[in-house]
Amino acid sequence: MMLRRALLPLAVTALATLWTTPAAAQPKTEITFARFFGACESDYGSSQDLAHARGECGVMTTLVNLFNATNTDNIVVKPQIIEWGPYYQQLNARIAAHDIPTIAVMHTAQLGDYTRYVEELEPVFKEAGIDPADFTPNARAGVTVGGKIYAMPWDTHSWLWHFNVGLFKKAGLLDATGQPLVPKTVDEMLAQAKQMKEKTGKPYIIIATSGPGDFANSARGYYSWLYDQGGSIFPNGFEKADFKTPESLNSFRVFEALAKNDYITKGLDGSGGLGGFLNGVGAIYMTGTWRIDDFLAASAKPDSPLAEGYTTRVFPNLFKSQAVWTDNHSWVLPKGGTTPANRKAALIFLKFMWDHNFDWARGGGHLPARQSLMTEYAKLPLRQYVVDIPTFGRALPHDVRRQFGFQNMIGEEIANIINSGKTADQAADAAQERSVALLRGR
Amino acid sequence: MQTYRRGSSFTDRALFIAVALLAIIWIAPIIWVVGLSFKPNEVLMRTTGGIAAPPFTLKNYTDILASSSVFGWMLNSAIVAIGQTVLTLVIASLAGYGFARTNFLGRNALFVIVLAALAVPEQAIIVPLHTMFAMFDLHNTYVALIVPRVAFPFGVLLMTQYFRAISPEIEEAALLDRASRFKIFWRIVLPLSVPAQVTLGIYTFLHAWNDYFWPLVSATRPEMYTLTIGLASMQTNFAQTEGIGFLMAQAVFAGLPVLILYLFFQRYIVSAVAGGGSK
Amino acid sequence: MAPTRICLVRTGGQSVAEATQSAAAGIGIPRLANALFVLPYMLILLVMLIIPLGLGIWLAFQDYDMLGGWNGSVGLENFQNLLDDRIFRGTVRNTMLFVLMTTPAFVILGLALALALNDRLRRSAMLRAIFFGSSVLSVTIVTLVWRLVYLPDRGMLANILGTVGLHSIDPVTSETWALPAIAVVTVWWIIGLPMTLFLAALQQIPADLYEAAALDHASRWRTLMSITLPSIRRTIVVVAVVEVILQFQLFGQALLITGGGPNNTSRPMVQFIYEAGFRDLQLGFAAAASQVLFALMLIAALAQAWVGRKREG
Repeated sequence: MMLRRALLPLAVTALATLWTTPAAAQPKTEITFARFFGACESDYGSSQDLAHARGECGVMTTLVNLFNATNTDNIVVKPQIIEWGPYYQQLNARIAAHDIPTIAVMHTAQLGDYTRYVEELEPVFKEAGIDPADFTPNARAGVTVGGKIYAMPWDTHSWLWHFNVGLFKKAGLLDATGQPLVPKTVDEMLAQAKQMKEKTGKPYIIIATSGPGDFANSARGYYSWLYDQGGSIFPNGFEKADFKTPESLNSFRVFEALAKNDYITKGLDGSGGLGGFLNGVGAIYMTGTWRIDDFLAASAKPDSPLAEGYTTRVFPNLFKSQAVWTDNHSWVLPKGGTTPANRKAALIFLKFMWDHNFDWARGGGHLPARQSLMTEYAKLPLRQYVVDIPTFGRALPHDVRRQFGFQNMIGEEIANIINSGKTADQAADAAQERSVALLRGR
Repeated sequence: MQTYRRGSSFTDRALFIAVALLAIIWIAPIIWVVGLSFKPNEVLMRTTGGIAAPPFTLKNYTDILASSSVFGWMLNSAIVAIGQTVLTLVIASLAGYGFARTNFLGRNALFVIVLAALAVPEQAIIVPLHTMFAMFDLHNTYVALIVPRVAFPFGVLLMTQYFRAISPEIEEAALLDRASRFKIFWRIVLPLSVPAQVTLGIYTFLHAWNDYFWPLVSATRPEMYTLTIGLASMQTNFAQTEGIGFLMAQAVFAGLPVLILYLFFQRYIVSAVAGGGSK
Repeated sequence: MAPTRICLVRTGGQSVAEATQSAAAGIGIPRLANALFVLPYMLILLVMLIIPLGLGIWLAFQDYDMLGGWNGSVGLENFQNLLDDRIFRGTVRNTMLFVLMTTPAFVILGLALALALNDRLRRSAMLRAIFFGSSVLSVTIVTLVWRLVYLPDRGMLANILGTVGLHSIDPVTSETWALPAIAVVTVWWIIGLPMTLFLAALQQIPADLYEAAALDHASRWRTLMSITLPSIRRTIVVVAVVEVILQFQLFGQALLITGGGPNNTSRPMVQFIYEAGFRDLQLGFAAAASQVLFALMLIAALAQAWVGRKREG
């Protein structure tokens, strides 16, 4: 009797292994995976070839394909892809309707708003085999709220100056080694801009300020220059913002000076800015780390206005000490999204992603979230110039809620400086007034 | 000419030329959309001019068709749009007739409510509506995608107005013959309202087909996405700058069914004059 | 088909008792059973619109954060904050201006197109399809294309203005031209609806009226003024009301072309509501703003309907 009871499961398992094909084996454990980054089945339909995956969408699709094909725990990851723009609106709606994904992507700038809806992950990391000691300082700060870790960091993305080296050469602004001279003060920058305009007739800086999402562009520049001065928009606690500190005013004034002298493009939207840089209408394009590979590819073509050279640098410090705006993509486990049955599967998938963090950095165009990958990362083209960002990159503290609201509002006011002649002081006043509504009921 | 006496052929020609010129302004951006949809995205990153010059590509369309879900999304859209259209036509016609042609206690009061409801902006109800559907666990169903839209009073207003303009003599005669109200509605009045039905039908279909925000927050599982949401979900984060051709192909792909529908049905709007209530 | 049946009915009904016709347009004796016609719609209206609206009005008096939860009732505070909010006051002004710009355009242009294309010629069918065609595009595409048209220096508009020697303006970043630029896009996008509504109404005008006019050798202008326009005056009111309602809810075009700028000169109320509610999660505050929008739309629609009815006599 005893023996039979002990043997029966064994026999059943053996039979099952013998008789059933892998596909029809025990029911698969399904985890849902809510993300943006798009879908690209035509190029990466069932590809598992990470070495050749390019772009956020390509890498993400390939990673899930690879996991679904190779995991030995019978797990199926079901992506739930949604457009970037309304992603958080949909996530909020899903939380409200208790229709919750197992794993979801999240910007760490948003994390402060969601701590009561996502699981604390530090205890989980141990179980999953993920070592938080390997987080870069920037990634760690991004996922930590009130001393607790709420997300698995996935990357750091930041704000750069992308250079048209040909125009810098024409303006006489290259150093002995043929690299662009990067200004170290506001005056140096304005002098360069003047020289650029005189020698080439082109604006020094290209920035997109007038399309959906383009307000973020100037806000990221504002934050970077504010942080360079050690400034903050919350010098006296998080109840009240202060946009009229000397540091904040300085940051607005840099844009004012650029706009007043027509050193910066006006009224361009995202495609106008990108097309403008690729067509050589200006010398420096203010945009993110994610564009490096696109511009390298463009500059490799002999007929490109970038053919004489393209390079990039961290958004330059014009004040005290180098700092720069950053944000991170991260993965969260929304509360109620896991069941006892698929919880382990979710952790196995997180670990898989963690082990492939470098593939994301290489193909997706972001900096890795793991310190141990940095040496390797610096060997990629031009990445030597950006590799240190995770040590000095900064973001708004998580105590500040509605960070996308702040980003949009600040960016809109700077767009007003650039496109419709507001002064820096007027913009600071307006931002001050508008911050009241954003802080209400926090 | 069917409806009016035409003036001199000179005036006719001048009028036609004016309208045709306006039509050119109207169609230029559409031609541009179609043209861009056949251009490689890498080229469009640099410039969106010169759509007539090579290189051309079909990749933007094959990328759409390569998605394993796209026909499922299209089916969802068709079910939702047809469901909404049929339901709206039936319910709005009945209500329009009730308000325009019959008497019952409280009719005027109810009609004032309908008129007032016309002024309710979608933003004022979407959050509570979402909560209500969540309460009854109805999200990710066709019911949730179809029914809330039927409440918009535009159709009722349109049908009421249209029925009012139909000469009452016809019905009064039938009433004296002791025909039931429903029979009068069904056999006499409804056939006269074909142009209004087709107009309302086309616009209900179009709105259902292009609807964005409600399906976004209600149909959250990819197998329940409508075409609009599904196509948008395929866009990369930088689609507005680096995937312009793909976006344009999506627009053509999603817009074509509605345009074909319009081409097919528009003759029922205009040629219906031959069978109008004036004969 | 319909015509035969109508002829039969007509021969039967020579005299109709005035008494059967009650106050408004209804005919026949009042009967509760007649309410069955409107019952299905009224039920859907109640559940899908009136109840949610009631909840929305309640929400307008609460401090309710989408993720932070309910923090109690705040009375009129949300409305007070709206009144003090310079951005919100700007959106009220922008929205009203936009309605004033677009509604007449929709009525006049829609009517003109309907009159010009109301025949069974193949070329008219084609032109109708062209004017309708733009409405099949989603707002994302419409705005993307028009941003390319408006692009400074390289856009279609800049090129056209350049070839005729005019100074290139950049409407998207001009405080004066941003809202009109959005109005142009909107008219281009959805002129098909008023045009089609007018076409449907023109079918109702009895042909014998035109025949009589033709016998009188009435000019085309006189025919238009004394037959066509009076016959479709109800539709004119309906189109005007519907367009006011629709244009008060301007959103996507502004969000995606100007983002509300420059300097808040093109941000509509719905964008404000969207940003407060769905981006900044302040559901109570957003609900209060949407009630203000509802009140404005109601006043505008009722005023129009009232003016329309008065004209009707």
